[in-house]
Amino acid sequence: MSRLINQGNLHRWLIAGRLILAAIFVVAAYAKLKAPWIEFAGSLGAYELLPDWALEPLAKTLPWAELALGVALISGIWQRWFALIASLLLTLFFAVMLRSYIVGLKIDCGCFGPGDALGPKTLARDFSMLALAVIVTIGSFRRQNKMQPVVA
Amino acid sequence: MMRTLLLLLPALVLSAQTAPVHKAAAVSPAPSTNFKVSGSPSATVELDAYTDYECPHCARFFAEFMPQFTADYIKTGKVKFVHRDFPITQIHPHAQLAARYANAAGELGFYDIVVNQIFKMQDAWAIAPYGKNTGDIDGAVAQVLPPGAMQKVRELVKTDPRLDESVKTDMAMANNVDHINSTPTIVVISNGKREPISTIMNMPYSVFKQYLDQKLAGK
Repeated sequence: MSRLINQGNLHRWLIAGRLILAAIFVVAAYAKLKAPWIEFAGSLGAYELLPDWALEPLAKTLPWAELALGVALISGIWQRWFALIASLLLTLFFAVMLRSYIVGLKIDCGCFGPGDALGPKTLARDFSMLALAVIVTIGSFRRQNKMQPVVA
Repeated sequence: MMRTLLLLLPALVLSAQTAPVHKAAAVSPAPSTNFKVSGSPSATVELDAYTDYECPHCARFFAEFMPQFTADYIKTGKVKFVHRDFPITQIHPHAQLAARYANAAGELGFYDIVVNQIFKMQDAWAIAPYGKNTGDIDGAVAQVLPPGAMQKVRELVKTDPRLDESVKTDMAMANNVDHINSTPTIVVISNGKREPISTIMNMPYSVFKQYLDQKLAGK
């Protein structure tokens, strides 16, 4: 009985975590898509990592990819795989932000549109988002494994 | 219910993207003082630049972005350009006075040369750590104006209330129409749509040129 309750709780927590993660991606995408692509291109350029030719295509496609990921997470289809993609994407974002902060770039994070200066607060926020994504990913894989039928 | 929401989400985002950032028709733009306007008045694309004379990124904007932009778009008459004042006086105590000097020089036909000089000499008068915090804008401007014109500028700076009115007009535009909160911010206006861009100094000029050429082509 106790095991059933724990399983039920885990399932509910996973749903809540997945929906929060989905909302984060949808809101981030919306903030970027409502502004002209050049604004986000400037945010990407500020990180001084990408070649000039990559700024326009990435500024035009990344927000749509975030939206698609958000919608996929809401739907719950292939949950563990989309949670894994979210984890990898957030790991990449966090690594880039951390590197920029360490080298002393005074820039906007660009995560949720302009006016969001990169600093300890934005790093803590993005680390929390990454932690949530990792928890949802691990939880989803564990749950899936427990549901696999045992073949004797 | 969930499926309906899922179907609606991309539509909502699409509508947000296709909706103008700020409709010019909603609030009619305040007229800018003529000396702040350059380029072709009949150009289909207008670029407004909000700057603060004491902001180091604005000095970079005038040193690095403006010469190329002027050659490519203002002198060729492709774009109408409006320079607007947005002094952030809470952190830049000399910015308002610098704007008064520039606008006074503008009244006498020396706007561009004085704007460039104030930005160029920023490290001599602006607040630390960008400058020596002398506030000696007068000394910087005097280097580029003939003595007679400089004297008139000084009189205007001391007595002319219209100089602050011009700044107030630009600030009202910034706060009520374009919703600016940092400088330099440019606003690209085409087809009645105003698109503020606050990351202009973070991108190579070539990327901005691509964007502006798309606007000029009506895309």
